[in-house]
Amino acid sequence: MSAVVLDPHEVHIGTREAVEQARALARRSIVGTIRQPQVWLPGLLFPMFIAAVNTSTMGRSTSIPGFPEVDSLLDFLLPASITQSVLFGGLSAGSDTATDIQTGFFDRLLASPVSRTSILVGRLTGASVMGAFQAIVFMAVYGAFGVRLAGGVAAGLLLVVYAMVLALVIGGFAAMLALRTGSAEAVQNVFPLTFIALFISSAFFPTELMSGIYRSIATRNPVTWMVDGARHQVIVGLDWSEGARSLGVAAVLATLSILGANAALRARLRQAS
Amino acid sequence: MTAATVPGRAERSTSWVPVAIMLAQRSLVSILRIPAAVVPLVAMPVFFVIAFSGSFSSLTKLPQFPTDNILSWMVPFAIVQGSAFAGFGTGFSTVRDMETGFYDRLLLAPGSRLALLVGPILAGVVRCTITLTIVLSFGLALGADLPGGLMGVAALWVASVGVATVATGWALGLVYRVPDQRAGPMLQIGIFFAMFLSTGNVPVDAQTGWVRQIARVNPLTNILELARQGFLGDVRWSTTWPGLVAIAGSLVVLWTFAATGLRRLVR
Repeated sequence: MSAVVLDPHEVHIGTREAVEQARALARRSIVGTIRQPQVWLPGLLFPMFIAAVNTSTMGRSTSIPGFPEVDSLLDFLLPASITQSVLFGGLSAGSDTATDIQTGFFDRLLASPVSRTSILVGRLTGASVMGAFQAIVFMAVYGAFGVRLAGGVAAGLLLVVYAMVLALVIGGFAAMLALRTGSAEAVQNVFPLTFIALFISSAFFPTELMSGIYRSIATRNPVTWMVDGARHQVIVGLDWSEGARSLGVAAVLATLSILGANAALRARLRQAS
Repeated sequence: MTAATVPGRAERSTSWVPVAIMLAQRSLVSILRIPAAVVPLVAMPVFFVIAFSGSFSSLTKLPQFPTDNILSWMVPFAIVQGSAFAGFGTGFSTVRDMETGFYDRLLLAPGSRLALLVGPILAGVVRCTITLTIVLSFGLALGADLPGGLMGVAALWVASVGVATVATGWALGLVYRVPDQRAGPMLQIGIFFAMFLSTGNVPVDAQTGWVRQIARVNPLTNILELARQGFLGDVRWSTTWPGLVAIAGSLVVLWTFAATGLRRLVR
């Protein structure tokens, strides 16, 4: 690393400036994402396509004894689609961090009097705002196809908050990888892991209708805990304890991934100085 | 494409067979040299067997489902899907050859260009046979039924080779027109669309709505019926010939796409 790096101890930045910098970096992150529809559009369209296909091919499965009572399979799939979209989209935040490292923008940030924490906060805030946007789009589109939130407006807000926290989970994890490896490709290679975590959960089918070891793994998968809590708001009604479970699991995972990303940032700063 | 090419028929009289075999070998060696290439060939189909069978095991409770063993339904689907990705992999290794300039040298060489099309087919056949062997063994070990016996395996192999060859045609046709890494997502999307809009997860009688209409006319539905028949009962001509016709029709369309793409590339 040959970049000129300001000593972190010499970068004395007030809270107000740090917040302002984080805001500017978050704005950059959001604008950068919006300008690359090829990055975020598949993350919206692919889950919609999967849900549309599954609703048509497996629509009759809602009549299988043990399936939660729903008007349509699409009701059941709404939280899964939001989760899938946010998990895929959150990876792009990590990829963008890696791209910043590869293109030298990260080094220029380090050479300037920018709060180090703002670099991470800005990127994660951008991912979180995108998560909210994704949740709103899914609720609007699925709403147009007849999905009604049993928990009403409050359930909708809960889903938006859930998507934002989930974006922090995957965004933090992806940023950690990006900061450790400096490679966008390495971040993208995590994609199959998110796919596996999603599939071996209750996202696409209720765990009550699974069997054997698969069911055992799915019921212990944190994705199941998050999705089930969010789903309850859609198909049963507003339930704060279910909502708290969903948000609580997401918040714990988000804290862990942000701590991991922060440690990776500090390690990179040590390496650079 | 800026390389000088050798269009004269007289100069291209060298036999295409050894060249095709060499190209196939070259494509297969990339599986050993690039470990990531094993993922779509073996890891993905194995994962699909586990994930789809685990998630959707209760679908067999639907009265329209022809078996009560979800593995017997999902294992052939995963193998056909892996075979499609075998063809995809062959096309993608052609992209690498184009980017490194190796393909330009092939076009300059005094051999028949038929080898450029046949080589990837051979590679696709070997790749999908690897997929079939590993995923079938895995599926049978997990408990899939195979009442059709060896004839059932033969029907599955024919379907796999057919799908791999069709997918190779699709991949080559596309990479001849978009000769860089951008072709990757387009290739995958084409394969995913064909797979999901068929009877991959659920038989057509159990489907509802718009996908059912598409699945009825999707050639892959007949190919999957050909592939699955040995897992659901005896192999019969009535469930074999529609699959063969679907493969033949798809081959004509997608290999015309590939051949015209090659002609365009050379021009």
